[in-house]
Amino acid sequence: MKTALILFVLANSAFATVPILARTTPEALAKLQQDNPMTLLQSPPKGKVLVHRPEDQSIIKQSVILHDGTNWTLVPKGAVIYLPDAMKSRVDAKPEGTLLAWTDFLSRNQSWITTNDISFDQASGTKPLKAERVAFWPKQDKVVIAVHERGPISVRASH
Amino acid sequence: MKILSLLLAVSSIHASAQTTGYLRFIRQTQQPSSPQQSAIVWDMPVDDAGSAPSALALESGGSLFQLWTVEQTKAKDYLLDQKLVGAYLPKADISISTLDPYKHAIRTRVDQPFVVTIAVADLLTGSGLPDSSTKVLLERHIQSYENGKFSLEAAVVAANKPLHSSYISQNGSTVLKFAASSLKATDPTKALGEEHFIVHALADGSVTQSQIASAHLEVWPVASGTILGIKPGEQLLYLIPTLQVNLNDLYPTSDTRLMVYEGSSINGIEGKLVKAFPVDRDHCVTTILEVTELTDQIGVDGTYTIALMSDTVYGTELLCDPITFTVKRTIAVNAMQVNYTDDSEVIVP
Repeated sequence: MKTALILFVLANSAFATVPILARTTPEALAKLQQDNPMTLLQSPPKGKVLVHRPEDQSIIKQSVILHDGTNWTLVPKGAVIYLPDAMKSRVDAKPEGTLLAWTDFLSRNQSWITTNDISFDQASGTKPLKAERVAFWPKQDKVVIAVHERGPISVRASH
Repeated sequence: MKILSLLLAVSSIHASAQTTGYLRFIRQTQQPSSPQQSAIVWDMPVDDAGSAPSALALESGGSLFQLWTVEQTKAKDYLLDQKLVGAYLPKADISISTLDPYKHAIRTRVDQPFVVTIAVADLLTGSGLPDSSTKVLLERHIQSYENGKFSLEAAVVAANKPLHSSYISQNGSTVLKFAASSLKATDPTKALGEEHFIVHALADGSVTQSQIASAHLEVWPVASGTILGIKPGEQLLYLIPTLQVNLNDLYPTSDTRLMVYEGSSINGIEGKLVKAFPVDRDHCVTTILEVTELTDQIGVDGTYTIALMSDTVYGTELLCDPITFTVKRTIAVNAMQVNYTDDSEVIVP
Protein backbone atom coordinates (compact mmCIF):
# COMPACT_ATOMS: atom_id res chain seq x y z
CA MET A 1 0.00 0.00 0.00
CA LYS A 2 1.50 3.39 -0.96
CA THR A 3 1.32 6.48 1.19
CA ALA A 4 0.36 8.45 -1.87
CA LEU A 5 -3.14 7.08 -1.43
CA ILE A 6 -5.65 8.80 0.78
CA LEU A 7 -7.35 6.21 2.87
CA PHE A 8 -10.80 6.58 4.29
CA VAL A 9 -11.79 4.29 7.07
CA LEU A 10 -15.55 4.11 7.21
CA ALA A 11 -16.23 1.72 10.06
CA ASN A 12 -18.15 2.84 13.13
CA SER A 13 -15.42 2.90 15.77
CA ALA A 14 -13.92 6.16 16.86
CA PHE A 15 -10.59 5.09 15.41
CA ALA A 16 -12.11 3.88 12.17
CA THR A 17 -14.41 6.76 11.24
CA VAL A 18 -11.70 9.40 10.99
CA PRO A 19 -10.28 9.82 7.50
CA ILE A 20 -6.66 8.75 7.49
CA LEU A 21 -4.54 11.00 5.34
CA ALA A 22 -1.29 10.20 3.66
CA ARG A 23 1.83 11.93 4.95
CA THR A 24 2.82 15.02 2.93
CA THR A 25 5.54 14.15 0.45
CA PRO A 26 8.64 16.33 -0.12
CA GLU A 27 7.49 16.87 -3.70
CA ALA A 28 4.05 18.12 -2.67
CA LEU A 29 5.57 20.46 -0.10
CA ALA A 30 8.10 21.83 -2.58
CA LYS A 31 5.20 22.73 -4.84
CA LEU A 32 3.40 24.57 -2.01
CA GLN A 33 6.59 26.50 -1.22
CA GLN A 34 6.72 27.98 -4.71
CA ASP A 35 3.83 30.25 -3.77
CA ASN A 36 5.10 33.54 -2.26
CA PRO A 37 2.46 36.25 -1.73
CA MET A 38 5.16 38.81 -0.92
CA THR A 39 6.03 38.94 -4.61
CA LEU A 40 2.70 40.71 -5.16
CA LEU A 41 4.05 43.71 -3.24
CA GLN A 42 6.56 46.26 -4.52
CA SER A 43 10.15 45.07 -4.28
CA PRO A 44 12.83 47.41 -2.93
CA PRO A 45 15.86 48.22 -5.06
CA LYS A 46 18.58 45.59 -4.70
CA GLY A 47 21.78 46.22 -2.80
CA LYS A 48 20.61 49.32 -0.96
CA VAL A 49 21.00 49.35 2.83
CA LEU A 50 17.54 50.39 3.98
CA VAL A 51 17.30 49.49 7.62
CA HIS A 52 19.22 49.32 10.86
CA ARG A 53 19.29 45.93 12.52
CA PRO A 54 19.73 45.18 16.22
CA GLU A 55 23.17 43.55 15.99
CA ASP A 56 25.56 42.67 18.81
CA GLN A 57 23.46 44.22 21.53
CA SER A 58 23.65 43.37 25.21
CA ILE A 59 21.68 45.00 27.99
CA ILE A 60 24.41 43.94 30.41
CA LYS A 61 27.14 45.63 28.38
CA GLN A 62 24.92 48.70 27.95
CA SER A 63 24.40 49.00 31.72
CA VAL A 64 26.23 49.74 34.95
CA ILE A 65 26.39 46.73 37.28
CA LEU A 66 25.76 47.28 41.00
CA HIS A 67 27.05 44.50 43.27
CA ASP A 68 26.57 43.85 47.00
CA GLY A 69 29.00 40.94 47.27
CA THR A 70 26.34 38.30 46.64
CA ASN A 71 23.79 39.72 44.23
CA TRP A 72 23.86 42.19 41.40
CA THR A 73 21.53 44.34 39.35
CA LEU A 74 21.81 46.58 36.34
CA VAL A 75 20.88 50.19 35.69
CA PRO A 76 21.32 52.27 32.53
CA LYS A 77 24.65 53.93 31.99
CA GLY A 78 24.30 57.48 33.26
CA ALA A 79 21.87 56.52 36.03
CA VAL A 80 24.57 56.64 38.73
CA ILE A 81 24.56 60.37 39.48
CA TYR A 82 26.65 60.33 42.63
CA LEU A 83 29.36 57.83 43.58
CA PRO A 84 31.29 58.23 46.84
CA ASP A 85 34.86 56.94 46.79
CA ALA A 86 34.06 54.36 49.47
CA MET A 87 31.46 52.73 47.20
CA LYS A 88 33.43 52.56 43.98
CA SER A 89 34.11 48.84 44.32
CA ARG A 90 30.35 48.14 44.28
CA VAL A 91 29.67 50.02 41.06
CA ASP A 92 30.61 48.94 37.54
CA ALA A 93 31.39 45.52 38.96
CA LYS A 94 31.37 42.12 37.25
CA PRO A 95 27.93 40.45 36.97
CA GLU A 96 28.74 37.55 39.31
CA GLY A 97 26.31 35.87 41.68
CA THR A 98 22.55 36.21 41.28
CA LEU A 99 20.82 38.92 39.30
CA LEU A 100 18.03 40.68 41.20
CA ALA A 101 15.41 43.05 39.87
CA TRP A 102 16.25 46.67 40.53
CA THR A 103 13.52 47.13 43.16
CA ASP A 104 14.55 43.96 45.05
CA PHE A 105 18.22 44.94 44.98
CA LEU A 106 17.41 48.44 46.21
CA SER A 107 15.31 47.20 49.14
CA ARG A 108 18.16 44.91 50.27
CA ASN A 109 20.85 47.57 49.95
CA GLN A 110 19.30 50.76 51.23
CA SER A 111 22.27 51.15 53.59
CA TRP A 112 24.45 52.21 50.68
CA ILE A 113 22.07 53.05 47.79
CA THR A 114 19.53 55.85 47.58
CA THR A 115 17.48 57.24 44.72
CA ASN A 116 16.70 60.67 43.35
CA ASP A 117 13.46 61.16 41.43
CA ILE A 118 14.18 62.75 38.08
CA SER A 119 11.73 64.28 35.63
CA PHE A 120 12.09 63.66 31.92
CA ASP A 121 13.15 67.27 31.41
CA GLN A 122 15.87 66.87 34.04
CA ALA A 123 17.04 63.63 32.43
CA SER A 124 17.17 65.28 29.02
CA GLY A 125 19.05 68.26 30.36
CA THR A 126 16.44 70.90 29.65
CA LYS A 127 15.93 71.49 33.38
CA PRO A 128 18.63 71.39 36.07
CA LEU A 129 18.58 69.07 39.06
CA LYS A 130 17.65 70.76 42.32
CA ALA A 131 20.83 72.28 43.78
CA GLU A 132 19.91 71.48 47.38
CA ARG A 133 19.50 67.82 46.53
CA VAL A 134 22.83 67.70 44.75
CA ALA A 135 24.49 69.42 47.69
CA PHE A 136 23.03 66.83 50.09
CA TRP A 137 24.40 63.74 48.33
CA PRO A 138 27.99 63.93 49.71
CA LYS A 139 26.61 64.11 53.27
CA GLN A 140 25.01 60.67 53.25
CA ASP A 141 27.88 58.69 51.67
CA LYS A 142 25.57 56.63 49.49
CA VAL A 143 25.45 55.79 45.81
CA VAL A 144 22.69 57.90 44.22
CA ILE A 145 20.68 56.43 41.35
CA ALA A 146 18.43 58.60 39.19
CA VAL A 147 14.94 57.12 38.91
CA HIS A 148 11.79 58.04 37.02
CA GLU A 149 8.49 56.40 37.97
CA ARG A 150 10.46 53.86 40.09
CA GLY A 151 12.66 52.84 37.15
CA PRO A 152 16.35 53.81 36.89
CA ILE A 153 17.03 56.39 34.20
CA SER A 154 20.12 57.89 32.62
CA VAL A 155 20.80 61.56 32.98
CA ARG A 156 22.45 63.43 30.14
CA ALA A 157 26.06 64.38 30.75
CA SER A 158 25.31 68.10 30.60
CA HIS A 159 24.62 67.89 34.34
CA MET B 1 6.62 67.61 21.82
CA LYS B 2 3.88 65.08 21.28
CA ILE B 3 3.45 62.66 24.15
CA LEU B 4 2.32 59.17 23.37
CA SER B 5 1.03 56.80 25.97
CA LEU B 6 2.49 53.60 24.70
CA LEU B 7 0.92 50.39 25.85
CA LEU B 8 3.45 47.62 25.86
CA ALA B 9 1.80 44.24 25.84
CA VAL B 10 4.14 42.07 27.82
CA SER B 11 1.89 39.03 27.62
CA SER B 12 3.47 38.03 24.32
CA ILE B 13 6.81 37.44 25.97
CA HIS B 14 8.73 34.58 24.46
CA ALA B 15 8.35 31.27 26.27
CA SER B 16 11.97 31.24 27.44
CA ALA B 17 11.38 34.49 29.29
CA GLN B 18 8.75 32.86 31.47
CA THR B 19 11.12 30.23 32.80
CA THR B 20 12.17 30.39 36.43
CA GLY B 21 15.68 31.74 36.74
CA TYR B 22 15.22 34.57 34.26
CA LEU B 23 14.47 38.26 34.83
CA ARG B 24 12.98 40.43 32.16
CA PHE B 25 13.53 44.08 31.45
CA ILE B 26 11.82 46.61 29.24
CA ARG B 27 14.29 49.30 28.32
CA GLN B 28 13.19 52.49 26.62
CA THR B 29 15.88 54.41 24.78
CA GLN B 30 15.04 57.90 23.60
CA GLN B 31 16.71 58.38 20.27
CA PRO B 32 18.55 61.72 20.39
CA SER B 33 17.30 64.41 18.06
CA SER B 34 20.87 65.37 17.20
CA PRO B 35 24.08 63.30 17.00
CA GLN B 36 25.68 65.51 19.65
CA GLN B 37 23.19 64.39 22.30
CA SER B 38 23.33 61.16 24.23
CA ALA B 39 20.24 58.98 24.39
CA ILE B 40 18.07 58.89 27.50
CA VAL B 41 17.69 55.33 28.75
CA TRP B 42 14.99 54.23 31.18
CA ASP B 43 14.21 50.79 32.59
CA MET B 44 10.45 50.40 33.00
CA PRO B 45 9.30 48.55 36.11
CA VAL B 46 7.87 45.32 34.67
CA ASP B 47 5.59 42.60 35.96
CA ASP B 48 5.43 39.02 34.67
CA ALA B 49 2.50 39.85 32.40
CA GLY B 50 0.28 42.75 31.59
CA SER B 51 0.65 46.17 30.07
CA ALA B 52 1.86 49.55 31.22
CA PRO B 53 2.03 53.02 29.76
CA SER B 54 5.40 54.47 29.00
CA ALA B 55 6.15 57.30 31.41
CA LEU B 56 8.55 59.06 29.08
CA ALA B 57 7.65 61.55 26.43
CA LEU B 58 8.81 60.78 22.91
CA GLU B 59 11.41 62.98 21.32
CA SER B 60 11.45 63.64 17.61
CA GLY B 61 13.93 60.83 16.97
CA GLY B 62 11.54 58.29 18.43
CA SER B 63 11.83 55.81 21.26
CA LEU B 64 13.22 52.31 21.03
CA PHE B 65 11.48 49.79 23.30
CA GLN B 66 13.40 46.57 23.92
CA LEU B 67 12.23 43.48 25.76
CA TRP B 68 15.14 41.61 27.36
CA THR B 69 15.44 38.51 29.48
CA VAL B 70 18.56 37.75 31.51
CA GLU B 71 19.59 34.47 33.13
CA GLN B 72 19.93 35.31 36.82
CA THR B 73 22.94 33.13 37.60
CA LYS B 74 24.76 33.05 34.26
CA ALA B 75 24.52 36.72 33.32
CA LYS B 76 23.49 35.79 29.78
CA ASP B 77 21.08 38.22 28.13
CA TYR B 78 18.64 37.71 25.28
CA LEU B 79 16.89 40.43 23.27
CA LEU B 80 13.39 39.02 22.74
CA ASP B 81 11.78 41.84 20.84
CA GLN B 82 12.11 45.49 20.06
CA LYS B 83 10.02 48.23 18.55
CA LEU B 84 10.74 51.78 17.48
CA VAL B 85 7.92 54.25 18.19
CA GLY B 86 7.88 57.91 17.33
CA ALA B 87 5.53 60.83 16.91
CA TYR B 88 6.63 61.24 13.30
CA LEU B 89 7.21 57.59 12.43
CA PRO B 90 4.74 55.31 10.65
CA LYS B 91 3.20 52.71 12.92
CA ALA B 92 2.76 49.02 12.22
CA ASP B 93 1.43 45.90 13.86
CA ILE B 94 1.81 42.31 12.70
CA SER B 95 -0.44 39.36 13.52
CA ILE B 96 -0.02 35.77 12.38
CA SER B 97 -2.77 33.16 12.37
CA THR B 98 -2.38 29.42 11.88
CA LEU B 99 -4.61 26.36 12.13
CA ASP B 100 -3.10 25.47 15.52
CA PRO B 101 -5.08 27.01 18.42
CA TYR B 102 -2.14 26.67 20.86
CA LYS B 103 -2.15 29.76 23.08
CA HIS B 104 1.38 30.04 24.38
CA ALA B 105 3.07 30.55 21.01
CA ILE B 106 2.15 30.93 17.38
CA ARG B 107 3.04 27.65 15.73
CA THR B 108 2.37 25.66 12.62
CA ARG B 109 3.67 22.67 10.69
CA VAL B 110 5.96 23.17 7.73
CA ASP B 111 3.38 21.91 5.19
CA GLN B 112 0.45 23.91 6.59
CA PRO B 113 -0.89 27.34 5.57
CA PHE B 114 -0.69 30.50 7.66
CA VAL B 115 -1.80 34.10 7.28
CA VAL B 116 0.22 37.23 8.09
CA THR B 117 -1.66 40.50 8.53
CA ILE B 118 0.28 43.77 8.63
CA ALA B 119 -1.61 46.84 9.81
CA VAL B 120 0.13 50.09 8.89
CA ALA B 121 -0.81 53.63 9.92
CA ASP B 122 0.51 57.19 9.54
CA LEU B 123 2.05 56.76 6.10
CA LEU B 124 1.75 59.92 4.02
CA THR B 125 0.72 60.20 0.39
CA GLY B 126 1.79 62.87 -2.05
CA SER B 127 4.57 63.76 -4.40
CA GLY B 128 7.99 64.89 -3.29
CA LEU B 129 7.81 63.18 0.10
CA PRO B 130 10.78 61.15 1.36
CA ASP B 131 10.46 57.35 1.21
CA SER B 132 10.64 57.22 5.01
CA SER B 133 7.21 58.86 5.25
CA THR B 134 5.47 57.07 2.36
CA LYS B 135 6.39 53.41 2.81
CA VAL B 136 7.66 50.81 5.24
CA LEU B 137 9.74 47.73 4.54
CA LEU B 138 8.40 44.25 5.32
CA GLU B 139 11.01 41.52 5.76
CA ARG B 140 10.54 37.76 5.94
CA HIS B 141 13.33 35.92 7.79
CA ILE B 142 13.66 32.17 8.21
CA GLN B 143 16.07 30.31 10.48
CA SER B 144 16.28 26.66 11.45
CA TYR B 145 16.55 25.22 14.94
CA GLU B 146 19.88 23.46 15.41
CA ASN B 147 21.67 21.24 17.91
CA GLY B 148 18.49 20.28 19.76
CA LYS B 149 17.65 23.88 20.68
CA PHE B 150 14.04 24.87 20.11
CA SER B 151 14.25 28.62 20.40
CA LEU B 152 16.00 31.45 18.60
CA GLU B 153 17.03 34.94 19.59
CA ALA B 154 14.92 37.40 17.64
CA ALA B 155 17.83 39.81 17.31
CA VAL B 156 20.02 37.10 15.78
CA VAL B 157 17.34 36.16 13.27
CA ALA B 158 16.72 39.80 12.40
CA ALA B 159 20.43 40.41 11.85
CA ASN B 160 20.55 37.88 9.02
CA LYS B 161 19.76 38.59 5.39
CA PRO B 162 16.00 38.33 4.87
CA LEU B 163 14.51 35.68 2.61
CA HIS B 164 12.34 38.31 1.01
CA SER B 165 11.70 42.05 1.34
CA SER B 166 8.79 44.13 0.09
CA TYR B 167 7.52 47.66 0.46
CA ILE B 168 4.12 48.44 1.92
CA SER B 169 2.98 51.88 0.83
CA GLN B 170 -0.65 51.90 1.92
CA ASN B 171 -2.20 52.47 5.30
CA GLY B 172 -4.54 49.75 6.52
CA SER B 173 -4.24 45.99 6.53
CA THR B 174 -2.17 43.96 4.11
CA VAL B 175 -3.08 40.27 4.26
CA LEU B 176 -0.56 37.69 3.03
CA LYS B 177 -1.67 34.06 2.73
CA PHE B 178 1.19 31.57 2.71
CA ALA B 179 0.48 28.01 1.54
CA ALA B 180 3.37 26.60 3.59
CA SER B 181 6.53 27.59 5.41
CA SER B 182 9.65 28.24 3.36
CA LEU B 183 12.06 26.77 5.89
CA LYS B 184 14.72 24.66 4.21
CA ALA B 185 15.98 21.13 4.82
CA THR B 186 17.35 18.29 2.72
CA ASP B 187 13.93 16.70 3.10
CA PRO B 188 11.70 19.81 3.26
CA THR B 189 9.09 17.96 5.31
CA LYS B 190 11.71 17.76 8.07
CA ALA B 191 12.44 21.49 8.28
CA LEU B 192 11.97 23.09 11.69
CA GLY B 193 12.68 26.55 12.98
CA GLU B 194 11.04 29.93 12.91
CA GLU B 195 9.72 32.48 10.45
CA HIS B 196 10.07 36.10 11.54
CA PHE B 197 8.22 38.98 9.93
CA ILE B 198 9.59 42.45 10.64
CA VAL B 199 8.43 45.89 9.60
CA HIS B 200 11.05 48.61 9.44
CA ALA B 201 10.65 52.33 9.08
CA LEU B 202 12.95 53.36 6.25
CA ALA B 203 16.11 54.83 7.67
CA ASP B 204 16.68 58.49 6.88
CA GLY B 205 19.81 58.90 8.97
CA SER B 206 18.14 60.22 12.10
CA VAL B 207 17.40 56.86 13.74
CA THR B 208 19.84 54.22 14.87
CA GLN B 209 17.19 51.47 14.90
CA SER B 210 14.33 51.09 12.48
CA GLN B 211 12.23 48.08 13.54
CA ILE B 212 8.68 49.22 14.27
CA ALA B 213 6.91 45.84 14.45
CA SER B 214 7.71 42.16 14.50
CA ALA B 215 6.07 38.77 14.97
CA HIS B 216 7.22 35.21 14.52
CA LEU B 217 5.88 31.71 14.32
CA GLU B 218 7.36 28.37 15.24
CA VAL B 219 7.49 25.81 12.43
CA TRP B 220 7.55 22.10 13.22
CA PRO B 221 8.31 19.18 10.86
CA VAL B 222 5.97 16.53 9.51
CA ALA B 223 6.13 13.44 11.72
CA SER B 224 7.34 10.11 10.36
CA GLY B 225 7.91 6.64 11.72
CA THR B 226 9.07 3.10 11.07
CA ILE B 227 7.85 -0.28 12.31
CA LEU B 228 10.63 -2.81 12.88
CA GLY B 229 10.35 -6.49 13.78
CA ILE B 230 7.90 -7.50 11.10
CA LYS B 231 8.06 -7.27 7.31
CA PRO B 232 5.38 -6.86 4.64
CA GLY B 233 4.10 -10.28 3.55
CA GLU B 234 5.70 -12.11 6.48
CA GLN B 235 4.02 -15.30 7.70
CA LEU B 236 4.06 -15.77 11.47
CA LEU B 237 3.96 -19.44 12.41
CA TYR B 238 4.76 -19.32 16.12
CA LEU B 239 4.96 -16.27 18.42
CA ILE B 240 3.81 -12.75 17.55
CA PRO B 241 7.05 -10.78 17.70
CA THR B 242 7.91 -7.78 19.86
CA LEU B 243 8.03 -4.75 17.62
CA GLN B 244 10.18 -1.64 17.70
CA VAL B 245 8.40 1.54 16.63
CA ASN B 246 10.55 4.56 15.79
CA LEU B 247 8.64 7.83 16.10
CA ASN B 248 10.27 10.90 14.57
CA ASP B 249 9.28 14.55 15.02
CA LEU B 250 5.87 14.00 16.56
CA TYR B 251 3.93 17.29 16.55
CA PRO B 252 4.08 19.07 19.93
CA THR B 253 0.40 18.34 20.58
CA SER B 254 -0.49 14.98 19.05
CA ASP B 255 -1.76 11.47 19.73
CA THR B 256 0.14 8.75 17.94
CA ARG B 257 -1.26 5.22 17.67
CA LEU B 258 -0.18 1.83 16.40
CA MET B 259 -3.34 0.11 15.12
CA VAL B 260 -4.01 -3.39 13.83
CA TYR B 261 -6.72 -4.24 11.28
CA GLU B 262 -8.05 -7.60 10.14
CA GLY B 263 -7.44 -8.07 6.42
CA SER B 264 -4.98 -6.61 3.99
CA SER B 265 -6.01 -2.97 4.16
CA ILE B 266 -7.30 -0.42 6.65
CA ASN B 267 -10.21 0.68 4.49
CA GLY B 268 -13.63 0.24 6.03
CA ILE B 269 -12.46 -1.99 8.83
CA GLU B 270 -12.58 -1.29 12.51
CA GLY B 271 -9.10 -1.30 13.92
CA LYS B 272 -7.81 -2.24 17.34
CA LEU B 273 -5.45 -0.08 19.35
CA VAL B 274 -2.11 -1.74 20.00
CA LYS B 275 -0.14 1.13 21.54
CA ALA B 276 -0.75 4.83 22.10
CA PHE B 277 1.77 7.63 22.58
CA PRO B 278 0.24 11.04 23.43
CA VAL B 279 2.40 14.18 23.27
CA ASP B 280 1.68 17.55 24.87
CA ARG B 281 4.89 19.55 24.83
CA ASP B 282 6.18 22.86 23.52
CA HIS B 283 8.40 21.18 20.94
CA CYS B 284 8.35 18.11 18.69
CA VAL B 285 9.30 14.71 20.10
CA THR B 286 11.37 11.81 18.76
CA THR B 287 11.36 8.50 20.60
CA ILE B 288 11.52 4.72 20.27
CA LEU B 289 8.82 2.39 21.59
CA GLU B 290 9.00 -1.33 22.30
CA VAL B 291 5.66 -2.93 21.50
CA THR B 292 4.81 -6.24 23.11
CA GLU B 293 1.04 -5.76 22.98
CA LEU B 294 0.44 -6.88 19.38
CA THR B 295 -0.13 -10.48 20.44
CA ASP B 296 -3.02 -9.35 22.68
CA GLN B 297 -4.90 -8.01 19.66
CA ILE B 298 -4.35 -10.98 17.34
CA GLY B 299 -7.21 -13.49 17.66
CA VAL B 300 -7.68 -16.17 15.06
CA ASP B 301 -5.22 -16.99 12.35
CA GLY B 302 -5.54 -14.86 9.26
CA THR B 303 -4.26 -11.77 7.49
CA TYR B 304 -3.66 -8.56 9.45
CA THR B 305 -2.41 -5.05 8.75
CA ILE B 306 -0.69 -2.77 11.24
CA ALA B 307 -0.63 0.98 10.70
CA LEU B 308 1.17 3.81 12.52
CA MET B 309 -0.76 7.07 12.56
CA SER B 310 -0.80 10.40 14.36
CA ASP B 311 -3.73 12.67 15.25
CA THR B 312 -3.01 16.39 15.18
CA VAL B 313 -4.99 19.54 14.57
CA TYR B 314 -4.23 18.89 10.88
CA GLY B 315 -6.00 15.49 10.83
CA THR B 316 -5.09 11.84 11.20
CA GLU B 317 -2.09 10.90 9.08
CA LEU B 318 -0.03 7.80 8.45
CA LEU B 319 3.58 8.02 9.59
CA CYS B 320 4.75 5.19 7.30
CA ASP B 321 3.37 2.53 4.97
CA PRO B 322 1.10 0.03 6.73
CA ILE B 323 2.44 -3.56 6.97
CA THR B 324 0.32 -6.58 6.04
CA PHE B 325 1.27 -9.99 7.44
CA THR B 326 -0.26 -13.44 7.97
CA VAL B 327 -0.69 -15.42 11.18
CA LYS B 328 -0.82 -19.20 10.79
CA ARG B 329 -0.19 -20.79 14.18
CA THR B 330 -2.33 -23.98 13.83
CA ILE B 331 -0.11 -27.05 13.19
CA ALA B 332 -1.74 -29.87 11.24
CA VAL B 333 -0.37 -33.33 12.02
CA ASN B 334 -1.05 -36.13 9.59
CA ALA B 335 -0.25 -39.62 10.90
CA MET B 336 -1.41 -43.21 10.84
CA GLN B 337 -1.47 -45.66 13.73
CA VAL B 338 1.78 -47.46 13.90
CA ASN B 339 2.08 -51.08 15.03
CA TYR B 340 5.68 -51.74 15.98
CA THR B 341 5.01 -55.48 16.30
CA ASP B 342 4.78 -55.75 12.57
CA ASP B 343 7.61 -53.90 10.77
CA SER B 344 5.96 -54.46 7.44
CA GLU B 345 3.06 -52.08 8.32
CA VAL B 346 5.13 -48.99 9.28
CA ILE B 347 4.24 -46.09 7.04
CA VAL B 348 5.80 -42.74 7.43
CA PRO B 349 3.60 -39.93 6.13
